[in-house]
Amino acid sequence: MAARTSTHTEEAALSLTLAVVASSPGPLLLLDGEFNIVAASASFSRAFEVDAKAAIGQQLSSLGAGEWAIPQLRSLLAATISGGAEIEAYEVDLKRTGQGTRRLVVHAQKLDYLDLENRRLLMAVSDVTDTRADAKIKDDALRQNLVLLQEVRHRVANSLQIIASVLLQNARKTQSEETRGHLRDAHHRVMSVAALERQLAGSGDGAVPLTAYFGSLCDSIAASMIGDAKQISLSVAGPGGVVDARVAVSLGLIVTELVINALKHAFPEGRPGTIVVACDFRHANWSLSVSDDGVGMPKDPALIHTGLGTSIVEALARQLLATVEIGRAHPGTRVVIAHTPIALVKTDVEREGKTPAIARPAA
Amino acid sequence: MDTSRASAKGKTILIVEDDILPAMALRDELDGAGYHVLDLTGRHHEAIRAAQDHKPDLALVNIELHGHDDGIALAVELKELGIPSLFISGQTTRARSAQTAAIASLPKPYSPIEMVNVVAYLLGRLNKDQSLSCPAGLEIFGPALDEATPQLA
Repeated sequence: MAARTSTHTEEAALSLTLAVVASSPGPLLLLDGEFNIVAASASFSRAFEVDAKAAIGQQLSSLGAGEWAIPQLRSLLAATISGGAEIEAYEVDLKRTGQGTRRLVVHAQKLDYLDLENRRLLMAVSDVTDTRADAKIKDDALRQNLVLLQEVRHRVANSLQIIASVLLQNARKTQSEETRGHLRDAHHRVMSVAALERQLAGSGDGAVPLTAYFGSLCDSIAASMIGDAKQISLSVAGPGGVVDARVAVSLGLIVTELVINALKHAFPEGRPGTIVVACDFRHANWSLSVSDDGVGMPKDPALIHTGLGTSIVEALARQLLATVEIGRAHPGTRVVIAHTPIALVKTDVEREGKTPAIARPAA
Repeated sequence: MDTSRASAKGKTILIVEDDILPAMALRDELDGAGYHVLDLTGRHHEAIRAAQDHKPDLALVNIELHGHDDGIALAVELKELGIPSLFISGQTTRARSAQTAAIASLPKPYSPIEMVNVVAYLLGRLNKDQSLSCPAGLEIFGPALDEATPQLA
């Protein structure tokens, strides 16, 4: 009686086990110590086109057309069954003739249960071929995007190079001193945009550190407009800050104008002096100034020359929702571009519904 | 400006750039500063011929040349002829990776006016003259520059 009950319990337990394996949602194999198949899930059958019932009692390596006879897999299973290892996630290629290779991730574990004599191994298989393919497509697309971005950057640099060169060439060939001056100024304005491009190529995220950018601009202008004989120093001061490229372009053009102005008018007849570009862009209220210690502006306002440069500065300042203040520096001149939101209540610009340019605080 | 013209005297420059407008602007600016600039070319074989015939003191080489010509390969050949090169290119990373082939790199976009200072500085360094300050934006390849500087006899 007792013997029959225990056999019945055993049979019930075994049948439950086999049912559990058979119904596994993911492909699952139950193997014995010699890697014969004790049970195979229906999902395994479907996924790998193997007859589950016919597989029982077969060697794993003789399944199908022998595609499961993978040496590394066998050694890993051997290590697992002897208790030496548990395969967490082993990647293996399943090569089926005429079918294309599938990329599999195998989990194998020795089962710890009451029967110590009959060793059992549970092997779960995931087909990750499609997931891997998708990931590779995404990776390739990303890499392609970076390459394209580089190419665009490169083309922009080349285009600016051509424009800057053409303006300079034009200046050379022009008879009129005045026109030559205008063309060289235009060259400087283009270089101010070009310097930004150089800066951005280095940074990578479109954020422009202003001290470095203005420094580069000043070096460029100084190289061209301050000859050996002139003793004019041009430098950048102030806490600086970081802004995005659009704002940086406008600021760069403003600095270019004001510096060129100072170089042209503040130091006549070889007078030595200093020009300082200072800026503070750490907060919402920002300011930019260009000061010189030169001869200062003419006392008669009617004599102050308002050319293209002045209108560029005013237009850009307006766009940045900033004010332009020109004052005496005792000696010399100081031009301050300032953005103070509190002071800009009910200006024309705000009535038009535009939003102020926001400066990012320094990193 | 007078001192630079004096130091430019007798120096020959080879420009290898197949973008004609920047090449012309460069040539005119350097010419105006007193340098002797060889005929413009963007082709590898023409550049080598010019180098062999005229032995320039410095070559300005764009990495990206027409067709299959490669500025880096050209710089290597010029180096073997004893002519140092400055890379002028929008591809700064490629330039940097070839830093044994050239003595320095100036990325695009540059102003031809800046180039005059760069050339003066490099020729000075090649003559062991450290009096000029390094122009902003110019990337020096130290070991290659040292190699190219002739040792005092």
